[in-house]
Amino acid sequence: MIELIISAAVLASMYGLVAIGISFTWASIGMLNLAQGFIFTAGGYAAYLYAQTMTNLGITEGPVMSIGLLISGMAGSAIAGLFVGSIAFLPLQDRANFRTRGLIATLAISLIGTQLWLIFFGPQSKPLPPIFGTGRIEIGSGGVSYSQLGAIVIATLMLTAVIMWMRSSRAGLQMRAMMMNPLGAAVVGVSVRVTGMRVLAISGALTGLASVMLAQTFFVSPTSGVQPLTVGLIISLAGGLGSIPGTVIAAAIVGLAEALTARYLAQSLVPFVLFGIVVLILVFRPRGLGGLLEDVRE
Amino acid sequence: MSKTSSSPQSKHLIGRRAWRPAWPARPDRVLRRRRYFGSKRSVLKLSGQFNPKTLKREVVLTDKKPLFWLFGLFLLVAIPTAVGSERFLSLFGIICIYAAINVMWTLIMGTAGLQSFATLATVGVGSYGAAYLSITFGLPWPLMLLVGLVLGIAMGFLISLPARRLDGLYYALLTLGLSEFCRNFVTQNEALGGKFNGALFGAGRIVPSDMLTTRLGQTLAFLTTFVALLVALGVFRWINGGRIGLLLKAASTSKEDESFASAIGIDWQRARMIVFMVASGVLGALGAFYSTYIGGTSLQIFSLDLLLLMLAMIVIGGLGRAEGAVIGTVIVVGITQWFTDWGPWRIVLAGALALLSVLYTRNGLFGLKEQMREIRTRRQALHRAAQTTKYAEYLPQQAPDIHDKSLIAGRTFERELREKLRGWITPEIIEEHRRSPLGQHSDHLERILNYFRKAPIPDKYAVYTEVPFQSYRVVALSGLPGVPPRIVDDKTYGSLDEAYHAVFMRRINDLKAS
Repeated sequence: MIELIISAAVLASMYGLVAIGISFTWASIGMLNLAQGFIFTAGGYAAYLYAQTMTNLGITEGPVMSIGLLISGMAGSAIAGLFVGSIAFLPLQDRANFRTRGLIATLAISLIGTQLWLIFFGPQSKPLPPIFGTGRIEIGSGGVSYSQLGAIVIATLMLTAVIMWMRSSRAGLQMRAMMMNPLGAAVVGVSVRVTGMRVLAISGALTGLASVMLAQTFFVSPTSGVQPLTVGLIISLAGGLGSIPGTVIAAAIVGLAEALTARYLAQSLVPFVLFGIVVLILVFRPRGLGGLLEDVRE
Repeated sequence: MSKTSSSPQSKHLIGRRAWRPAWPARPDRVLRRRRYFGSKRSVLKLSGQFNPKTLKREVVLTDKKPLFWLFGLFLLVAIPTAVGSERFLSLFGIICIYAAINVMWTLIMGTAGLQSFATLATVGVGSYGAAYLSITFGLPWPLMLLVGLVLGIAMGFLISLPARRLDGLYYALLTLGLSEFCRNFVTQNEALGGKFNGALFGAGRIVPSDMLTTRLGQTLAFLTTFVALLVALGVFRWINGGRIGLLLKAASTSKEDESFASAIGIDWQRARMIVFMVASGVLGALGAFYSTYIGGTSLQIFSLDLLLLMLAMIVIGGLGRAEGAVIGTVIVVGITQWFTDWGPWRIVLAGALALLSVLYTRNGLFGLKEQMREIRTRRQALHRAAQTTKYAEYLPQQAPDIHDKSLIAGRTFERELREKLRGWITPEIIEEHRRSPLGQHSDHLERILNYFRKAPIPDKYAVYTEVPFQSYRVVALSGLPGVPPRIVDDKTYGSLDEAYHAVFMRRINDLKAS
C-alpha cells in the first residue's frame, strides 16, 4: 500500500512539474507550448552531457555529480524554452491568430526537435547516473527508494520556491499581472516580451527538473518527451489551465489513477483510464478543476 | 469599375482584371446549365456576357477551380502510371492515401471547426481492427472496409462526446494524446502487439499479393489509392459545399458567431457532430484501406511524429482547404519518402517548411495569393498617398474619374509655376517695379508680369481713371458683359504709375496667398 502511494506521488510530482509548465505558459502568454516534450528531452540530454563530462574527469558520484545533474538539466531545458520562445513566441505574439499559429509553430518545433536529437544523439536510450544513491528506507511492509523520496522532496521544494518567488518578487508580480489581464499588464508597463521569455525559461526549468528525475527510471531517448507531454497536457487541462492548485490536485488524481490501474487492472489500460478520468472531469467542469480562466482568454 | 466596362470611355480605365476563359456563344442555342447527376450543383459556373471589343456574345467560365482540379488530378494519376517504376507508384500511392486522410482532417478542422488531433487515432483504430479481423477470421477486403467504416464512426462518436463541452484549444489538447494512448495500448496488448512489436501482417489485399510483382498489379494498387483519394474529395465536396457546410460556416470562426448561429436557429452542435462522424467514418475506412494496401499495419500509424508530419502537410498547403491538403501532402510526402537517404534531415526539412509557413504566411501556400494581394493594395495606397502632390487640387482617387487628363496636367503646371514665381518675389523686384511699372524689366519680373497678364478676366484687377492725370483707383473686373467693375478700396492715386504699382502689389499679395 505504501509503495503504491509512493509511486503515485512520484508520478504525480513529475507529471505535475511538466503540467505546471504548460499551464503557466498558457495562462501568462496565451501560447500552448506543445514543444514541452522537446524541452523535456533537452534537459535530459543536457544532464547526460554533463554526466559524460564529469565521468571523463573522473567524478562518477557525490554531490558535485547530483547537484550538477539537476542544475544542468534545468539549465538545458530553460535554454530550450528560450529557444522555443524566440522562434514561436517573439515573432508571432502580436500577429493575427496567434493562438492557433503558436500551437502549430510549437508542434513543428517538436517535430524538428525529435529528429535533431536523433541526429545528434542516436536512437539508443542514454542512462543517467543515480542522483540520490541506490538505497532504500523500509517502512512497515513496503519501502521507499532514495530516488523516489528525492524526486518527491525536490519537486515539492522546487514548486514551493517558484510559488514563493511568484508571490514575493517584482518579476513574479509582473507574471501574475500577465495571467490576470495581459492587455492591462501591457498598459501599465509590463513588457510582454521580457515577461513571456521569463515564463518560458521558468516553465522550461521545471520541466527539466522532471526530465532529469524521470530519466532515473526511463532513461533519455529522442522520443522520451512524448509521454510526459501527453500526460502533462491532460493534467493541465483537467486542472484548469492557469491554476496551480488545480494542476497539483489533477496531478495527484492522475498519478493515483495510473498507479492503481497498473497495479490492479493492467498496464495497457492505463492510458484509457487516464483519458476517461480527464474526460469525466471536463464534462462536469469544462474549465478544469481550478477553472480560473473562465473567460479571461477569450 | 466593371460597371463602365462597356461604355465608350473604357480605354481610360486602370487596373487589371483576372483572365477568364471565354468562348463565343452560339446565338441559336439556349445556354443550359448542366448539373451533376442526382444533385442540384452545376458542373461549371458559366455566364453569358457581351464583349465590347469584338461586339459579340460570349460564354465566360467564372470559376476556374474545376479546371485546376481536373489538371492536378490528371497529373497525379498520369505521372506515376506513365513512369511505371515501382518506387514511383508506391510513392504516389502513399501520397494519395495521406492526401485522403488530410482531406478528411481538413473537413474536421476547417468545415466543422473542431481542432481535433484524433485523426490518426481513428485511422489507426480502423486499420488495426480491420487487419486483426482479417488475419484472425480471414475477412475479405470489402468487409474490412466496412469494419473500418463502422469502427471509425464508433470512434468518432466517442471522441466527439467531450467536444460538446470543450471549446477550441482545450479539445485540441485532449485529443493530441489520444494516438499516443492507442500506441501504448497496442504495445502492451498481447493479441495485437505481442508478436512483431505491434506490426500485423497478412491482412487481405484488394490487389492479390502475387500480382504485386508485376507492373500491372502495382499500377492497379496505385489506382485503388487514387480512387480512395477521389472518394475522400467527393465526401469533402459533398459536406463542405452542401447545406451542412453552409450552416457551419455561420458558426465556424468565433464564439460570437456560434451564438449568432444559434440565435438564427442553426443547430451547429448537431451539424458539427454529423460532420465529425462522417469524417471519422471515412477515416476509419481509410485506415482499413491502408491495411488492405500494405497487407497489414504497424505502430507507426499511431506515432506523434507522423501526426505532426501530417499537420505540417496541412499547414504548408493551407488550413481549411482541400487543395491545400493535397498539395501540402504532395510536397511533404515527396520530400520524406523520396529522399530517404537524407535520414532524419528530411523530416527536419518538412518541419522547417511548416514552421516557415506558420511564421511568414497567413494561411499556407493557398493563402499566399490573398496575402500578396493585400500587400499590393497596401503598397498601392502608400504610393498614391505619396503622389497627392502630383494631382494638384484633385484627390488621387478622383484622378481616374477625370477623363480629360490635360485638366490635371494644366492644374499641376499652374501650381508648379506659382510656386516658382513665389520664390522670385523679393524686395528688389518690387522696388524695380515701383521705379518703372512699364518698359523693360529684369527677366524674373518680366515673367511674373506675364503670369499676371494671362489671368482670367473675372476678378482681374484694373486701373480706373476718375480724373485724368489727377486721380486713379484700383477696380476688379466682373467678367460679365453689362456688369460694371467693382471698386476694390477707397484709395486714390495721383499718377498712373502709382496705380499700376498698386495693382501689381495686390496681385503679388494674391500670388503669395495662393
